[in-house]
Amino acid sequence: MKKFRIPNKNAALLTIFLAALCVGSLVCLLLPSESSDTYIAEIYQNGNLLMSIPLNHRQTETRTFTIEGENGCFNEVEIRQDSIRILSADCPDKLCIRQGFIHNSRLPITCLPNRLVIRLRPVSDDESRGWTPDTVTY
Amino acid sequence: MPIRKLTLLALFTTLSLAIYAVESAVPPLVPIPGIKLGLANIITLFLLHRASARDALIVLCCRILLSALLFGQVLSLVYSIAGGLLSLTVMAITGTLLHKKQMYLTGALGGLTHNLGQLLTAYIITATAGVFSYLPFLILSGVFTGLFTGLCAGFLNRYLSAHLPF
Repeated sequence: MKKFRIPNKNAALLTIFLAALCVGSLVCLLLPSESSDTYIAEIYQNGNLLMSIPLNHRQTETRTFTIEGENGCFNEVEIRQDSIRILSADCPDKLCIRQGFIHNSRLPITCLPNRLVIRLRPVSDDESRGWTPDTVTY
Repeated sequence: MPIRKLTLLALFTTLSLAIYAVESAVPPLVPIPGIKLGLANIITLFLLHRASARDALIVLCCRILLSALLFGQVLSLVYSIAGGLLSLTVMAITGTLLHKKQMYLTGALGGLTHNLGQLLTAYIITATAGVFSYLPFLILSGVFTGLFTGLCAGFLNRYLSAHLPF
């Protein structure tokens, strides 16, 4: 019969390392994200800020527009008063569409095939009052 | 390379390609790019354990190239290569440090590094730091799917026993 072996030291260290990583990510996920009343939707393509659209403004109306990329790929974006989503796209996996509306800054919408990232950036109140288009890219 | 071994490696490539095909036919459960079971990693782990890192590398590269040719696009090829090679390197190193039966640990580390490699590639391709918001999801999914594929590889190793030449 097989003998029971005490797990060796490397295995123990590796287990602790993996467990710590898992606990760390769980904590990250469960921590409340910085919430705000107003967000700015920022649309990046190839790392360049294409447009930033303030949300939660009274004048923000439901509208859709299409973002075209290289090789004629496209993503159709729908903006509502407090959220944004990708309505349709020509990417093969459609994960960006399935992610639906995003309402907060926790997770950006990413369409990897079309290199498009949409994220909501929380804005402080005074910044949103005198809102000016910003061009901060990183 | 002996013909017997060449044939076996070809068979394993076909197997992992079939597993990959079946898996990509299943719609993704979570709408987050990069989260999937990665069942084809079972074959890589098994070969790493039973054959050698070189054989595992050959089968992995053939599988990635063939799957990109059959169902993928150029970009998914880049992600697969980055994730696959990084995780294979890490698994080959940790496999030598661990006890033979601890394939689930190697698998968990492999899943983790696979996702990290893909995330880094996503960062390089999109050039947007925002993709790192996916990091906690990808760490968790990588470790747990890796544990699962590692356990599967362990069972495969147990039942696909002595008759193989390696």
